[in-house]
Amino acid sequence: MNRRALIQSVLAGVAASALPGLLRAQTPLGGGFDARIANDPWLLGWKTFGRESAGPTTATLAGRWPSSLTGTLYRNGPAWFDRAGVRYQHWFDGDGLLQSWRVARGQVTHTARMLATRKFLQEQRSGKFEVRAAGTVIENPAPVRNNDDMNTANTAVVRIGKRVFALWEGGSAIEVDPDSLQTRGPITWRDDLVAAPFSAHPLLERDGSAWNFGSLAFFGGNGLIVWRIGADGQLQNFQMLEAKERGYLHAFAMTPRYLVFMLMPFDLRHVDGAFFEQMRFAANRACRVAVVPKDALDAPRWFECDFAAAYHFGDAYERGDEVIMRTVRHLDAEEARSPMAQAMRGQRGDTILGTDLASLHLNLNTGAARWQSHEIAGLEFPIFDERTPGNQPALLFAPCTVGAADAPYFNGVASVDAERGHLQRWRYGSKVFAEEHRFVPKPGSRRPGEGWLLGTLLDYEHGRSGLALLDAEHVADGPVATAWVPYAMPLGFHGWFAS
Amino acid sequence: MKTQLHLSGIIAACALLGTTAHAGDLTVKITDIRATKGTLMVSVANTEAAWNNQEKPVAAQKIGATDKEIVLHFKLPAGSYAVQVMHDENDNGKLDSNFMGIPSEGYGFSNNPQVMRRANFSESKFEVTDAPTAIVVRLR
Repeated sequence: MNRRALIQSVLAGVAASALPGLLRAQTPLGGGFDARIANDPWLLGWKTFGRESAGPTTATLAGRWPSSLTGTLYRNGPAWFDRAGVRYQHWFDGDGLLQSWRVARGQVTHTARMLATRKFLQEQRSGKFEVRAAGTVIENPAPVRNNDDMNTANTAVVRIGKRVFALWEGGSAIEVDPDSLQTRGPITWRDDLVAAPFSAHPLLERDGSAWNFGSLAFFGGNGLIVWRIGADGQLQNFQMLEAKERGYLHAFAMTPRYLVFMLMPFDLRHVDGAFFEQMRFAANRACRVAVVPKDALDAPRWFECDFAAAYHFGDAYERGDEVIMRTVRHLDAEEARSPMAQAMRGQRGDTILGTDLASLHLNLNTGAARWQSHEIAGLEFPIFDERTPGNQPALLFAPCTVGAADAPYFNGVASVDAERGHLQRWRYGSKVFAEEHRFVPKPGSRRPGEGWLLGTLLDYEHGRSGLALLDAEHVADGPVATAWVPYAMPLGFHGWFAS
Repeated sequence: MKTQLHLSGIIAACALLGTTAHAGDLTVKITDIRATKGTLMVSVANTEAAWNNQEKPVAAQKIGATDKEIVLHFKLPAGSYAVQVMHDENDNGKLDSNFMGIPSEGYGFSNNPQVMRRANFSESKFEVTDAPTAIVVRLR
């Protein structure tokens, strides 16, 4: 990429997105939100955690926790939405809360700790929001040196080698102590890459090394950077990829030979507002898709496909001339721009998530790209068994809505064999929220899909959070074991199981 | 490169400028110094060209960043000025930045404009009169 052109576009974009909107008032909703929980206890999912830590708490168990299951399910998500009577209006703005569910010797222990980012510590001291946010206008924001001053580390968590990182999408990975969850600080993989974006969705190879990307869209750039981190947690490679048009991307997929990045076009409205207030997905324009050989990062093959708004991707595989990537398409691009926006305001207006599981077929011979809908609706946060061979589709596991639900969020989990049209689902209940379920291979197993699902729950009727264990091959049978703590944690986004 | 804050120009200015007689007293209080190490480079420009390093600044100082807040004094003729401060924390003679030109060391501008880029002269400009003038530059 022409570096000067990139940087100039970065500057233009930052100026466009950061300058306006500084005078617009926030809506003071803080006190009002908590008062609404008495009538709408499901709002506990978006309530400010309000403490710096919780636990360790020994969970109350039910069912049979296998003695062979040992490890830690880490979870991350936004958890601090109110300060001094001001409430964030975008779910993505909340400061990150890291949780661990430790499973060992048939016991489960829960611990939670706010991520001590620079932003969080600064605002804990001042008692008010003073750092600009991606989705909410902050009045008279404090000066920021760079994007890491805004880093909330609130989206995901990953273990690479023996190192655990809390991840955002617009700045550095934040390393944490794997046991105490204490924040160690932002990681600079190389001096010239300080504060470079390291996305919340790295993917691991079987040897433990990791791929990741950083979107330049937040900086006004038109492309992305690709990271390669070794199993030892050290930088191995770094590549910048230029795109013809700026595009938003949140995650990616990979086959044994290729990385696949789908950039969604968007426009920034020239109005007051934070980034997500200004941005509008451009559904009338094509997505640009880069298929990048793992052994030639500087030689991407670009495709164009019909627009889709997709945050998360499942597996990708190679068949004949095609690279096929599965994702969850959001049917309402506006909803995708600010998910659960009404819940964040303490209101009921959100509808059940409208999504469509689809495969994107990318023909390396002809250059053609086409979507194939699997006509399976209402999933998000897809997960699969990474042992699945790279020439066949994987079973997908994802939270979903099953039957009646008293609030507009997932109340179940599904196992999806999209090719055969087989669907297994389990419904936790009308008043239980289900989050991402991680796949954990059973010790000694080899067959793809032979494992457990570990997923977190919020039982808002009883004000408690929990962990469910299911046999991944028998999802419809429901949990084989559960573990509950006597308090409610806010909903999060993504987790990682470290055995 | 736009995001580079012309530290080299400030260093040169610090070395070249002598002391001359001036009328107005300008006090610059620099706050939010994150690391008490390295050197603060402060330059005062009275024109757009000086701000953009095409001319010499009218005044410049460098001082060790020994505290969280530092106060500097300048004597200047009445007029319009803009101040920029850079904190060379590791004393390597430049404002460190990443591959995109985004700084990793501290900097600030008079008027503390709410921009995530180098402020321009008009955003940072303020008036010095014959009466004493005091400004605060918050480092970021």
